[in-house]
Amino acid sequence: MSQENFLEQDISFSPANENPGIRAKIIGVGGAGISLVDGLRFDDFQGVENLVVDVDSRALSDSLASQKLSFGRRHTRGMGTGGEYALARKAMEEEKDLIRKNLEGVDLVFLLAGLGGGTGGGAVSVIARLARDSGALVFAFTPLPFSWEKGRHAQAEECLADLRKHANAVIPLPNDSLLQVGGPDATALECFAEAGRNVSKGISAICSLVFRRGMIDVDFAHLRKAFNRKAGRTLFGYGEGEGPDAIRHALRELMVCPMLHLPDVSKAADALLILITGGTGMGMAALQQASMEIREEFKAGEHVVFGAHVDENMGDRIQITVLGATDLEAGLPVADVAPVSEHIIAVSPKAKRAHESKLASVKKAKSSSPSQKGKAKSKGPVDQNTFDFMEDGNQRGIFDDLSSRNLYEGEDLDVPAYLRRGVKIAV
Amino acid sequence: MSKIIGAIEIGTSQAKAMVGEVTENRPLNIVGVATRPNEGMRKGEIVDFNKAADAVHAAIAEAEKMSGTTVDSVYLAQTGCHLRGQMLTGSASVSASDNRVSVSDLERASAEATRREPAAGRSYIHHVRTPIVLDGKVVDDPVGMLGKKIDLGYWSIDGDDQAITLALHVLHNYSLDVSDLILSSIASSTMMAGPDLRRAGVLVVDLGAGVTDLAVYRQGYVAYTGVVPVGGDHVTGDLSMGLRVLEPYAEKLKLEHGKASPDPSDEGEDVWIIGNKTIGDRSVSRKAISDVIHVRVVELFEIISKELGELLDPEELKGGVLLTGGGAELPGIEEVASKVLGLPTRKASFTPGSIAPELARHENATVLGLLHYGLEDHGLPGRKRKDNEEGIFTKLKDLIGIG
Repeated sequence: MSQENFLEQDISFSPANENPGIRAKIIGVGGAGISLVDGLRFDDFQGVENLVVDVDSRALSDSLASQKLSFGRRHTRGMGTGGEYALARKAMEEEKDLIRKNLEGVDLVFLLAGLGGGTGGGAVSVIARLARDSGALVFAFTPLPFSWEKGRHAQAEECLADLRKHANAVIPLPNDSLLQVGGPDATALECFAEAGRNVSKGISAICSLVFRRGMIDVDFAHLRKAFNRKAGRTLFGYGEGEGPDAIRHALRELMVCPMLHLPDVSKAADALLILITGGTGMGMAALQQASMEIREEFKAGEHVVFGAHVDENMGDRIQITVLGATDLEAGLPVADVAPVSEHIIAVSPKAKRAHESKLASVKKAKSSSPSQKGKAKSKGPVDQNTFDFMEDGNQRGIFDDLSSRNLYEGEDLDVPAYLRRGVKIAV
Repeated sequence: MSKIIGAIEIGTSQAKAMVGEVTENRPLNIVGVATRPNEGMRKGEIVDFNKAADAVHAAIAEAEKMSGTTVDSVYLAQTGCHLRGQMLTGSASVSASDNRVSVSDLERASAEATRREPAAGRSYIHHVRTPIVLDGKVVDDPVGMLGKKIDLGYWSIDGDDQAITLALHVLHNYSLDVSDLILSSIASSTMMAGPDLRRAGVLVVDLGAGVTDLAVYRQGYVAYTGVVPVGGDHVTGDLSMGLRVLEPYAEKLKLEHGKASPDPSDEGEDVWIIGNKTIGDRSVSRKAISDVIHVRVVELFEIISKELGELLDPEELKGGVLLTGGGAELPGIEEVASKVLGLPTRKASFTPGSIAPELARHENATVLGLLHYGLEDHGLPGRKRKDNEEGIFTKLKDLIGIG
């Protein structure tokens, strides 16, 4: 497929001229969501619609987004929810039809919402559900409050679990991690701008895959096939390199990307999206090597979406973005999941034994005896024989077990102390 | 006539077995000791039965081989976050008309104190007696003294049945009887804090791989024990994430280059992660390593400080703080502890001459303590310990249906 495309196309990269049939929409929900949408440079996302949703009509009117939707007037008279996410959820449920209308015909939805707030936390999972029901692929980027905002943090965890039930992939962006970026005297503005950049990188990677034509090309159907399940734990990271050995540097930077080294981030991926963008001089062998290494690093299974794009503006720079999801009801035959459009390339899914997703078993795992837990782990979905020297436990980190939070006064002690206390570590 | 006894600690990083011989005229003679890495535990609790059992069995087998004997029964150390301690008190009026305290008065007070049942699904694993108070005065042995009322208390630790049963099954599979369960923190403090220190008042902090065990002694008696679910593994995990390296390398960096506080002399100095200059190796700054560790260690002692609250009274803890366990090896940790807890802190050391030099290591403190504590008499004064005495553990075995 890739070669044919490569020969046929004239390598022009105006985003909007390809795949006119695919409609994508960025939806910001609540205060944090709106400011993330406003922070995106819409030039980079031509052809992608944007919509902001809030109960606070003041916040909406200040936003730069092209479409705006206010809801819950009956409950809040146009003011905020004051952190009451149950209220926001209720109000959203009441105005389902309005959202449905806005989601009509949209194939790809990016949800941006701060889960610590009322509107973001409450409404986002409702929107995710409605979007999935209407057949869209849903990716959510969700900032999480700082560890020291204890009450909000607990609420955000709840909302996150709820959102994972509906979205295809949820990429949490803990505010704790913002303190790890930038120099030692980075300003608050710079730190929050970083959150925006993360979101922007994630969305643009996915959009590039869908809308642009690349050397090694994938289309929406591939993406959909890879991610068309419920979201488990996800991973998201990027790296950029420059100079003659750009790909090495980019890989190195990817491996130390702070986004990949957060407590809730998976170290392995069942579904993995890799996008490599480079200048015209990007070497084929290097691409091949990089994709192999990334696949090995994240122990990617059969659902890998690999795209390589050339962008003249990149010069000798190379950019790698990865987005992966794991434990998505691991092992369920693909046919059992929501229907996929017919022009998917046929990859016979290995018949794997169905077992419950980790998320669903979160509550049960607590009471299950440790020996059972051990068993469940050993029949995990990872079937690669590379990196055999890494123990089962190692891939998912020492304390990487969603079932047990080591809570002390509202803080999870298994989360690294430097992250929770906001101590910047220079690597 | 000699007696062979064993001690077992199922620790988060390693399983340890020790065999001791007691003869009539010599005290304890250690005849075998062995350690095996244990991968079946997280935070002081068994998560993979088979792995934990393999490690424990291998350790016992080797310790037995070394001693040339077999062990019939062992003392087993207990730790883990499922343990809860509380003070149970009982009192009795002196029954004799001449106001002379008798053994039966003590027994009545003791029975009253321990009558309280643990919550459903939990069992007592250890009652530690606190001072006997006769008419408001602390006495060591009131039998025969004059008085009206006796009060006594037990610091009682109860644990989750499931967790306890699991540990017992590990030993049961090796056909070993468990003579008693002893709290890890009490075992290690028995070794590291001598009677004088315990009388002066001391806090013993055992920094393990999975959890940190606490024991507070006041006036020679246990006043508090606790478990904080943070240990050396957390430091390794933090390093792994903070420096973005795999855990085995993080562990190595911690052991080789770890410091509890940033050291100004390390400024600008880097160390290699893997060390053999292979492809993919990179260097990290010493400062980054100690920064990551410092935050975690400070937080750990802050939690300890919060947990202990008013117990951290310099007047009552004249002996200060003793650090033991693997984490005590971290350079500079005493300074951090001292600063956060506000008490003089030092690393524990064995009394010179009491233990053979090759055994006098922090990691052996718990098993040595198990043997010493197990052999001591902790019954009520005035009553000699009988060999076949029905201890708390026999009751426990009935309760959870094994043995």
